[in-house]
Amino acid sequence: MTGPQDVHVDRRSFLARMAVLGAGAAVAGAVGLPQVAFAGPVGPVATRSGSSPHPDAYTEPRPEALADLTELTIAEAAWLIREGRLRPEALVEAHLDRIAAFDGTYQAFNLVLTAEAAAAARALRRGRYHGPLHGIPLAIKDNYYTAGVPTTANSYVFADFVPPFDATAVARLTAAGGIVLGKTQMGPLATTRATTPDGVVTTVNAWTPSNPTTNPGGSSTGTATAVAGRLATSGIGTQTGGSITAPSNAQNLTGLKPTMGRASLYGIVPLTYSRDHPGPLARDAKDAAIMLQAMAGEDVNDPRTQGLPPVPNLVSAATPVYRGSGSRVRLRWKTRIGVIPGFLSGTSPTAAARRAFLDTLAGIEGCSVVDVTLPDEWDVLTGRFNDVRLPERAEPFVPYLRQDLKLFGVSLTSWLQGALMGADEYVTGQRAKLVLLERVLDDLFSQCDVVVQTSPVPFDIIGLPELALPIGFSGGIPIGTILGGRPYAEDRLLSVAAAYQALTDWHWQRPPDPAAAGWARSLASARLRLTAAEAAEQSE
Amino acid sequence: MAPTPPTDAELDIMIRARLAAVGIDLGQLPPGTADDPETGAPGQAAVLSSLRSFVRSSLAEISAWVPPAPSVEVSQQAAPMLYPSISTAWRES
Repeated sequence: MTGPQDVHVDRRSFLARMAVLGAGAAVAGAVGLPQVAFAGPVGPVATRSGSSPHPDAYTEPRPEALADLTELTIAEAAWLIREGRLRPEALVEAHLDRIAAFDGTYQAFNLVLTAEAAAAARALRRGRYHGPLHGIPLAIKDNYYTAGVPTTANSYVFADFVPPFDATAVARLTAAGGIVLGKTQMGPLATTRATTPDGVVTTVNAWTPSNPTTNPGGSSTGTATAVAGRLATSGIGTQTGGSITAPSNAQNLTGLKPTMGRASLYGIVPLTYSRDHPGPLARDAKDAAIMLQAMAGEDVNDPRTQGLPPVPNLVSAATPVYRGSGSRVRLRWKTRIGVIPGFLSGTSPTAAARRAFLDTLAGIEGCSVVDVTLPDEWDVLTGRFNDVRLPERAEPFVPYLRQDLKLFGVSLTSWLQGALMGADEYVTGQRAKLVLLERVLDDLFSQCDVVVQTSPVPFDIIGLPELALPIGFSGGIPIGTILGGRPYAEDRLLSVAAAYQALTDWHWQRPPDPAAAGWARSLASARLRLTAAEAAEQSE
Repeated sequence: MAPTPPTDAELDIMIRARLAAVGIDLGQLPPGTADDPETGAPGQAAVLSSLRSFVRSSLAEISAWVPPAPSVEVSQQAAPMLYPSISTAWRES
């Protein structure tokens, strides 16, 4: 590949394709049907089996990871497994042991598949080698369908639901050799931090396991805590309004929310169908790339995935590049990092960490940091218009709203708001989305290639990719930030993160083990309960 | 002349009626402002208060917005799009 994918995609407008725009709004580039015209070279694309060669997916383990199997990243474990120096059974067993020891405190999982995971690991011994995910223990957010395994989305609505098939993302990860350790806690129907359907807080931040008031991020809370607490090597979540990036930032992880359509939503309990995004919560950029490489691509069951640019080699993109044969890191692709107004404001530890983050990036060859201005009407288009998502959550659940409002527990209010919004306001919101995207592409991305974010919501609204990564600590609690990119720019985002992580060690920091006295934390959390009003305020 | 803004009582009637028209009965919720102790669902008075606020703020502000275009051409601007990132791709020109 000669460049990141975002420079090889012809810009064209759906409006032109539908022949509804006047001559004054002509678009540059070809108008193709049905797929985006792709003008660049195509790198290796991961197959369904995950068997395509990804030599960059293997990393020789650090000594501390050799001493504790739960410390291994995917890339490190893959190196050992490929070399025949680690059996998947041992890796799974190490994580199951840790779950048994500590999940009473963390409460990351609401279902642990102990026997099934061990059996899956044994079965891998008999088959062919699948690639870097071969034998890797994974945490799966409980809104992903898992065949024959309860999938509750932490909601009364799905309390007894046992899907007959795997979500496409789960099927692809397991086909690539991944092992499902269990289903993880989440905000009810993916709305808030993880709680029971009636609002009682469950999962804690792995960095402060004795203090449930520390925000662990939501709604993919359980997956984040499982990966941060080393109960799983990696995991997946979903994002509608920050549900991958927020818990990743809160728990020192690298989370990747891909472009809408890059990964299939088939078999995932919907929250907001035009904004739900599946993606990984991982230890570092390389692991996030390995995960998304397996998950991504066209799916016959999800039209949103069809007709898009091919999935590039994300694993290579997430591999640091060094000048010559030396140790000096350079960016894989020349990239301008845009800094939006307010990003560096104040004297807080977060502001200081952000400054240091940008300083590090600015020192990397091929990277420039530039101040950018926000498009017109940014506040209203990304603020009040966020509410336009609400009818999309209400509509598929109307039968349940009719049946019993209490099925929605603490999360009910936003479903009723959605049922109240008129169709004309909803349509206006869809217009506003295109206006926002056009302004982001024309105005914001004319100034930069990647932009820092102070909120995940704007790029969630328009379906652009975001990558969350750790940039420091304050009082023992992680500080993270978010980078946003153009459509299909996952490779560029990963390349920036990989270069930064080659120069920093935040992503290698791990929380200390919690005290074994899980009962104490359980008592504390039993007193922490979100009210319906708080849930409405925090709802994604 | 702008219409007189609806009162709380008028909005309550509208909200209950709109939801009832599609089969949703707020009467299933406990009366008052307290959350249901068993399920965490909000009380009727609390949820009505929240929904009134939603109608007055969100719906009004969204409805007031128009895409940037000269008068009658507004209908030809910014076609409603569910998935703009998919439908509109980009290349630096």
